[in-house]
Amino acid sequence: MLEARDIRVRYGPFEALRGVDLTARAGEVTAIVGPNGSGKSTLLGAITASLPHDGTVRLNGREVEGQKPWALAAQRAVLPQSSRLAFPFKVLEVVRLGLQSGTAGDRPEVPMQALARVGLAQYADRYFQDLSGGEAQRVMLARVLAQVWAPVEDGQPRWLLLDEPVASLDIAHQLQVMEIAREFARAGGGVVAVMHDLNLTALFADCVAVLSEGRLLAFGAPAEVMTDETLSLAYGCALRVSAPPPEGVPFILPHAALA
Amino acid sequence: MALIADSAAPPRDRLGRARALHGVLAGVLALCALASLQVGATDVTLTAMLGKLIGGEALSQMERVVLFDIRLPRLAMGVLVGAALAVSGAAMQGLFRNPLADPGIVGVGAGAGLGAILAIVLGALLPVWIINLVGNQLTPFAAFLGGWGSTILLYRVSTRHGRTSVATMLLAGIALGALAGALSGILVYIADDRQLRDLTFWGLGSLTGASWAKVFAAGPLIVLSIGAALVLGRGLNGLALGEATAAHIGIDVQRMKNVAILSVAGATGAAVAVSGGIGFVGIVVPHLLRLASGPDHRTLLLNSALLGASLLILADVIARVVIAPAELPIGIVTAVLGAPVFLWILLKRRGLVDL
Repeated sequence: MLEARDIRVRYGPFEALRGVDLTARAGEVTAIVGPNGSGKSTLLGAITASLPHDGTVRLNGREVEGQKPWALAAQRAVLPQSSRLAFPFKVLEVVRLGLQSGTAGDRPEVPMQALARVGLAQYADRYFQDLSGGEAQRVMLARVLAQVWAPVEDGQPRWLLLDEPVASLDIAHQLQVMEIAREFARAGGGVVAVMHDLNLTALFADCVAVLSEGRLLAFGAPAEVMTDETLSLAYGCALRVSAPPPEGVPFILPHAALA
Repeated sequence: MALIADSAAPPRDRLGRARALHGVLAGVLALCALASLQVGATDVTLTAMLGKLIGGEALSQMERVVLFDIRLPRLAMGVLVGAALAVSGAAMQGLFRNPLADPGIVGVGAGAGLGAILAIVLGALLPVWIINLVGNQLTPFAAFLGGWGSTILLYRVSTRHGRTSVATMLLAGIALGALAGALSGILVYIADDRQLRDLTFWGLGSLTGASWAKVFAAGPLIVLSIGAALVLGRGLNGLALGEATAAHIGIDVQRMKNVAILSVAGATGAAVAVSGGIGFVGIVVPHLLRLASGPDHRTLLLNSALLGASLLILADVIARVVIAPAELPIGIVTAVLGAPVFLWILLKRRGLVDL
């Protein structure tokens, strides 16, 4: 269980989060959605203890504040929105960085397995900086997977905290990455993902938190939360759920690929 | 569910190569050390002395002085200074996530320079008891204080609420460097001709005047600092991904910054104090090694120490023989050798350096 209570974050005089609660259960994919600037990434930053904040975050029943970095790294891995490397590391070396936190460090086969999982095993010997944006993002996902390779360790669930994991991916790889997240959750781990794509959220999330202007607007299963009313209010435009577009305009939904 | 089936074998491991390089570079260092003992301004050679010893002959007084009081302390100091500069360069590049960073970035160079100039120009104004206490070591002593002090000052300026901002440190370092440069300029203005000559030579760097006293004064601090820096490998690797991600993979980022900055200040402060301003080692050595065996800091730091030491004592040999019996400042040799090699590598492997 990941519990965030009354999270408040300020950037100078601006209140980015004004008291948000979030509960994510192991075994589920929890999505955080909302318009730009609603505080999605800020909430994830507070949960991962990389932003100064008020309020408490408990991971597997223990308060995150005050835990040592290596203790936290053994329980959860964090995928940032984008990553730039300072030095010319090769792809496999980047994935190995995920192992250095120790818990899977004695298993040298994990990085190659993690790369294969994101479909990039044949890229292992390439330079990270030569990859496309989408490939780089998947390599970073492999690094994060390698860090918490077993979804359950010592009877405790481990967590994937993903900040827009499919942002720069094509539709096939968006599905691939969301499948990986769902599989991690089905195996007993916990997943919290900041999402922009509402269709993928509807397909893969077990629970959705809708943020708007630094507050939690709605929280629940996709079918409960993703209504015309809630989404229109959150995003500030007239949205209609499951309404076919006008005749003659093509539309492509990821749902079809999974049917 | 892998959408793309692939079963590529793991590629050849650069880490293994980097570890093998430890042994190779240790061998290179041993060869350079022998060369440094063999060659010098006098005709005394190591091979001749070893021949004498094997033949049961005693060494002459001059041979003993040359070997034990001149060349050995000079070799020891070259090893210490070269290793200190190269390891500090590698650590700073990792910490600032910038392949162009060098120890100068944390203010050591500017502060040490100001300290040295103060000692050379105004040293005579000090109370007699201080002059008697430090003797002819006033310049290195002042350089160390200046280098160490400016680093600590920069560190304090850029640390708020227990978090050190690397960007603030970089910018504040530029400001501090300008200020130290201006103060040095004023001192240069009032200096006399002899002092100006001393200043110029100090700035070019040299191992002339190496003595066991200096080795024992600077050695422990340098060894301690290098030792502390050598354990930073894992943390600096993590930092290559950015500070937030480094923390997420389990690195205590603030503690690592503390160790990195203090050890660099200690190692380069002491090195610059005893040898003056020797450039290029801190940038060229880590770069060469990254090209040879990858950027993994777990091996890069130790390899930098070995190659830095080799390079510096080799440059010192050249500095001693090229215009014997006079000596070239070693900073000239490192720059003349280092700059073209460096440029050549950049042109040849441009793709690896662009990020």
